[in-house]
Amino acid sequence: MSKSKTAAGAPKKSWSDTKSKIYKYRGFYLMFLPVLIFTILFHYLPMFGIGYAFTEYHGINKPEFVGLENFRKMFAAPGFWTAFWNTLKLSIVKLILNTGAAVLISLLLNEIKNTAFKKTTQTIIYLPHFMSWVVTASVFTLILSPSGEGLVNSLLVNLGVVQKGSEIYFMGSKKWWTPIFYIVNVWKDTGWGTIIFLATLSSISPELYEAATMDGAGRWNKMRYITLPALSNTIVTVLILNLAKVMNLFESVFVMQNDAVIKQSDVLQTYIYTQTFNSGALPNYGYTTAVGIVKSLVGCVLVLVCNHLSKKTRGRGIV
Amino acid sequence: MANKTAKKEHKISAFSIVNGIIFILICLFILVPIYKVVIDSLDLHTTYGMRLWPEKFGLAGYKSVFSNPTLYRPLFVSLITTISGTALGLLLCTLGGYVLIQWDMPGRNFLAGLLLFTMIFEGGMIPTYLVVNKMHLTNNLLSVIFIPAISIYNLVLMRNFFEGIPQALFEAAEIDGCSPMQIFYKIVLPLSKAALASIGLMFAVTYWNDYTNFKIYITNADLYNFQMKLRSLIMGSDLPTALSGASENTVKNAAVMVAIIPFMIIYPFCQKYFITGINMGAVKE
Repeated sequence: MSKSKTAAGAPKKSWSDTKSKIYKYRGFYLMFLPVLIFTILFHYLPMFGIGYAFTEYHGINKPEFVGLENFRKMFAAPGFWTAFWNTLKLSIVKLILNTGAAVLISLLLNEIKNTAFKKTTQTIIYLPHFMSWVVTASVFTLILSPSGEGLVNSLLVNLGVVQKGSEIYFMGSKKWWTPIFYIVNVWKDTGWGTIIFLATLSSISPELYEAATMDGAGRWNKMRYITLPALSNTIVTVLILNLAKVMNLFESVFVMQNDAVIKQSDVLQTYIYTQTFNSGALPNYGYTTAVGIVKSLVGCVLVLVCNHLSKKTRGRGIV
Repeated sequence: MANKTAKKEHKISAFSIVNGIIFILICLFILVPIYKVVIDSLDLHTTYGMRLWPEKFGLAGYKSVFSNPTLYRPLFVSLITTISGTALGLLLCTLGGYVLIQWDMPGRNFLAGLLLFTMIFEGGMIPTYLVVNKMHLTNNLLSVIFIPAISIYNLVLMRNFFEGIPQALFEAAEIDGCSPMQIFYKIVLPLSKAALASIGLMFAVTYWNDYTNFKIYITNADLYNFQMKLRSLIMGSDLPTALSGASENTVKNAAVMVAIIPFMIIYPFCQKYFITGINMGAVKE
């Protein structure tokens, strides 16, 4: 600490000063080396690879410069636009539903006085977060199965909602896929989302509530005037942090989609994946790189906007 | 007055009861899908429907899964990638985090900026694939070990934790003649056990659950991890032969259970570390 003060107090840093400092910190540079190598290999080299977007490249030929042809093709492709709007729709609705449910559940959880019951509930609702998307999709594929084994369909048949023999194939239904996607996401991540809100709630001083009780405030008024204002900052933070990630939606969609619901479920990342690895033809890496750039740019803009919003609302950026 | 108090108490308990019921329903919503998989994996009857208890109890589903040698390999791959990936990830996080708290180090801000920029902009799936391909790491487990290991988010979490270590400790060690590396493993690491546990667990879960990276970089079925294997199993493309009366569905349910069980066992003991981890990142003022 004192060292930095002297540095700031000196009128100008001379080169020999810096040199001796670099010498002093030589061990640290060495320690940083592995981090630097990994960052360059797996983050920066791919960034330079975006040049492929202006070429036609099939992996076997030399990349052939084609200018903006890939972008022109992309903007004319209906599949791209479907994926683009689906990405925004699915991840933003999912974000709002998950956050809303998490806030509601943490408020109610905070009212539970019995510690053992509260602990057990928490343990249970955090559980699905640790199951992989493959496992989650498998579990729901099994219980939503249209055959006689599916729990939900047997329930519907027994209740007489659905005729036996015309069971609903939820995962492959254009009408049902999107709601099921949201439900599975709420099932998996809402509980985990409550942790941060519960931490905020537990940091509210109990004296505030006591004072409010003295003033005759009921449960509702206490929530309205103490709890919600305290939570609002955290809610904004969570929304902003997650908004920055909306373009990266991939695995959850990938393991739940199938050919019958491509129009409802295709997002940019799955579009890129299938166009490259599952198209059957020789992939044009140039084209899918171009789609990736559009995805990254939109994501980048979102991050910067969110960062700006974050600085405005809570006084510090997200990165 | 007395009447009013009594009324209020009554109201509170009514709320508590409703609240309790709400949470029982929420827990059921979470648990029923998992529970259904548990009992169906133990039921040898061919159709389950709404049954909430196995009608014909038996372990043939699990026996079919474990009698299949093609499932050992994926489990082994999962184990290797999880252990080595977690170790590498922790190494990179702690080294990076430790260097980033050297505020006085020339170039520190530049290095921090270099790392943070990757959180804003990325090359994307295909350029990354092409780079990995050029390094001849496709169909090589090193790719799926290396890529998740350099997690800038976890590195920043680690740095946040290191920042909480009193500066005086470093200075004292320096005066005693400790080198940066000695300070690192004699002071920083022993004081960061909680952070190492929670970030290590986060890495372990990421590696154990990894599907995306395997899907992109690994096409050789011999190198599939358990998630990949489970996926192809559920999609019905390579079901292990069902043994002694276990139906196809029983085997599928049993396979899902095998993917969940290791985690279910450690989860209750580790829960608090996960929560420390998330609070470390998010609630830091």
